[in-house]
Amino acid sequence: MNALTEADRVHDRRWVVQCALSRICGGCAMSLGRPVVFLGTPDEVARNAFHLPPMHLACAEELRRTPGADPTWRLVTTSGFEFVRPARDDLDQQPRFEPNSLLGG
Amino acid sequence: MAISDVQEYMHLTDDEVDQLGRELDAIRKEIEESRSAKDAAYINRLIKIQRYLAVAGRLTLLAGTRSRRTRLPAAVAGTTFLALHKILENMEIGHNVMHGQWDWMNDPEIHSSNWEWDTAQPAEQWKHSHNYVHHQFTNVLGYDNDIGYGILRMAREQKWTPFHVGQPVYNAMLASLFQWGVALHDLDIERIRNGEKDPREMKRQLRQILRKGRNQVLKDYVVYPALAGRQWKTTLVANATANLVRNLWAYVIIFCGHFPDGAMHFTEEEIEDESRGEWYLRQILGAANFNGGPLLHIMSGNLGFQIEHHLYPDLPSNRYAEISVRVKELCEKYDIPYTTGPLYQQYGQALRTIIKLSVPNSWTSSDQPEPPTPSRSRKPKSDSERPARIKELGAWSRGKSQERQAS
Repeated sequence: MNALTEADRVHDRRWVVQCALSRICGGCAMSLGRPVVFLGTPDEVARNAFHLPPMHLACAEELRRTPGADPTWRLVTTSGFEFVRPARDDLDQQPRFEPNSLLGG
Repeated sequence: MAISDVQEYMHLTDDEVDQLGRELDAIRKEIEESRSAKDAAYINRLIKIQRYLAVAGRLTLLAGTRSRRTRLPAAVAGTTFLALHKILENMEIGHNVMHGQWDWMNDPEIHSSNWEWDTAQPAEQWKHSHNYVHHQFTNVLGYDNDIGYGILRMAREQKWTPFHVGQPVYNAMLASLFQWGVALHDLDIERIRNGEKDPREMKRQLRQILRKGRNQVLKDYVVYPALAGRQWKTTLVANATANLVRNLWAYVIIFCGHFPDGAMHFTEEEIEDESRGEWYLRQILGAANFNGGPLLHIMSGNLGFQIEHHLYPDLPSNRYAEISVRVKELCEKYDIPYTTGPLYQQYGQALRTIIKLSVPNSWTSSDQPEPPTPSRSRKPKSDSERPARIKELGAWSRGKSQERQAS
């Protein structure tokens, strides 16, 4: 069984929105700390637009180690982020996060 | 009238809604890119003022009340300073910091992750019930718990029961004890009553509320009065009065946000596959502003720009005034109602609605167009229907989180 299944909620749109607005970790559901961490593919990192919800550093690192995790995921840290809802004519129809105060990767 | 399709209601085409969305996006982008040291200075100055007010209030009550000659003026001054400090901390600082409006500064203290505001409700629960439930499902009947807070009937579509006859009284109680009403808000009393609330989650939340509430009570009604020595009663009454003033002020401002005439309600059909442009439109139609000068706006957390706050909840509140000029222009361009008025009028309309809806619909006339949907019992959504706090994620879950264990 794919162990990542338990963490598949990070791909659930409603959960992503809840994390964005409640300022909670997509992994453990507790209040986010500082810095906020995003996991993303190299393309997402280049575009500064992430689909996975914000997380604690420890939760993001644990997700990266989980069997089934995307091996290309990279980790970036930020103090804050913008939450972007998709527009009707957007190519990307997923909600996304745009870090606004990157601290490092 | 509850709206099930904002685009249809406003007679806008797909292109017009998308274009409106793009124009509102452009405002957002401009503000994001222009955030600067000037904005940072604003919030830092405000926090400094709020803390000076707190210190001034406490010291005035401790020292100024010792002499019989200065006791009364010191009590009045101390109460006033405390009330102002509490209002500022609650409205312009705490509420806005917790929305993430200032996270971009990377300040270790002024950040949504760790700001714990000076009221009985734990910040974590506020961020769920307000930031998420209210801002995501703004004015959607059956989803947004702010439509009546579980005790008041605030929309004609909400089913009337004999319980509602008492709502002018419940309203007065809620106003005076607003801090405690807000503290209980995320518990979702109606779901508890219906046996739908996860008991483990409820216990966790109650523990948090009791801990925070206890600390608030100790601070204002035990520690500071004790420090005042023989004048403990004066200090206790001053603290209680300051809390009451803060409660009443916060209640008035918040009730002006979505209850004046012109602030619409929506059905759940509206939020199915809602695009960004439609989301923007629902925020404009579901909110109401009030007019005032800069001081009034600061003291009300800039919620006199409720429309702008709902369009951009995570942009710095000091920018809402300039944003409102642009938003008003867009509303004129697309013929979208922009609800605003003097504070007394907005609150008067909210109060009138509370009184009117305490009786069956057939006894009164609507102040809005008649609803096309018949009045029915709209049970608040359950956890599975409206995403609530996640209960269980398995091994990779809150059970392992240090934060979870600490709570």
